[in-house]
Amino acid sequence: MVTTAGAMTAKAEANPWWRVALAAVVWTAAYLLIEPLSQWVAYGLAGLPRGSHLGGAVAFFFFDVPKILLLLSGMIFVITVVRSFFSAERARRLLSGKRVGLGNVLAAALGIVTPFCSCSAVPLFIGFVESGIPLGVTFSFLIAAPVINEVALILLLGMFGWKVAALYVSSGLAIAIVTGLVMGRLRLERYVEEFVWRMQFRGGEDESAALSWEDRFAQGRDAVSEILKKVWAYVLVGIAVGAGIHGYVPTDALAGYMGKDAAWWSVPLVVLAALPLYSNAAGMAPVLQALVEKGAALGTALAFMMAVVGVSLPETILLRRVLKPQLIAVFVGVVTVAIIVTGYLFNAVL
Amino acid sequence: MATGVSVIEVLGPGCARCYETLRVVRHVVDEAHLECLVEKNESVERMADLGVMRTPAVVFDGKVVLSGRIPKTEEVRHLLGLS
Repeated sequence: MVTTAGAMTAKAEANPWWRVALAAVVWTAAYLLIEPLSQWVAYGLAGLPRGSHLGGAVAFFFFDVPKILLLLSGMIFVITVVRSFFSAERARRLLSGKRVGLGNVLAAALGIVTPFCSCSAVPLFIGFVESGIPLGVTFSFLIAAPVINEVALILLLGMFGWKVAALYVSSGLAIAIVTGLVMGRLRLERYVEEFVWRMQFRGGEDESAALSWEDRFAQGRDAVSEILKKVWAYVLVGIAVGAGIHGYVPTDALAGYMGKDAAWWSVPLVVLAALPLYSNAAGMAPVLQALVEKGAALGTALAFMMAVVGVSLPETILLRRVLKPQLIAVFVGVVTVAIIVTGYLFNAVL
Repeated sequence: MATGVSVIEVLGPGCARCYETLRVVRHVVDEAHLECLVEKNESVERMADLGVMRTPAVVFDGKVVLSGRIPKTEEVRHLLGLS
């Protein structure tokens, strides 16, 4: 056994794929162990009676924390490796010369797969507009990335299954496409700061094609540790709150306020309340799960999360450098309306 | 010590990733006792001028050597020709 492990380590050093395969095996084993372990901690180790509030809450906590952290590590790694094949430079090349309509669809799709940090919104905006990409198409790209948040997607997948995750992605895409189309129609070019139009953007270099698999895997590893470091505290707090709701709030307690048959204004109210909040998707999702379990409609809850995660104050403030306040207001307004409509749609469909 | 690089710019709007990049670059420069200027530049005009669409970016004497991610200490050393 020792020699096999030794041989595997030696191979891992020689070929980066071996190391990934090894990690995948360890990951799967750990994932399968979570459920029995969480039961053992709550009812065996802590000796809590089955069916009690506290027992339920503790088991929920020790099941969800490792599950979410594992899901995050695995999926972030895969997503980052896939994304290493895309770059802002490539997106710009693909989008220049594309017309409104098809351009918006392509932009929204590229917005999801292109690695992009919200701090880059401003230089990216200039780079796109300078190369003649229409304003509306540029907005489709800029909206898709934050609205379809990869951490949120992974968590939805883990907690609600692939149907809800797919719905989340398709509605995010729809929001990005429609918002971009509407903004393009409004002819808002005059509300872009003048200096942007005077600038000469020199072509940047694209390094995405030159990377080796080893580089891509290294980027994946870095992304996993960077994101876990950033979100673990949010995950713990979010799950603790979720576990509390799970264990103590009676079922259907929320049905009257956030349920399917709640008043029509419950979706807009929830979205408007969420706009100024800016939280991490990682902290939001566990709370969401608990809310839905207690009678909140999934559409209302999803709209709430999209508004919290997708419209962020820091990014809006950064964009102020290149956009006049009127355009910022239109941007936030159109996205908000789109999210509210999505909330209604979800409630009608689900 | 001289490396042929006299000005290193770190471009970025001022987010955590940019400051981390600045810290890494400063660390390498201080450690190797390089005589070059390290500065943080938040100017959007400068980014457009150099064709930077992804921040943080590291620029040696007006040439973009890295953009869109936080570099490792080892990588900055390598870029400067120190290792």
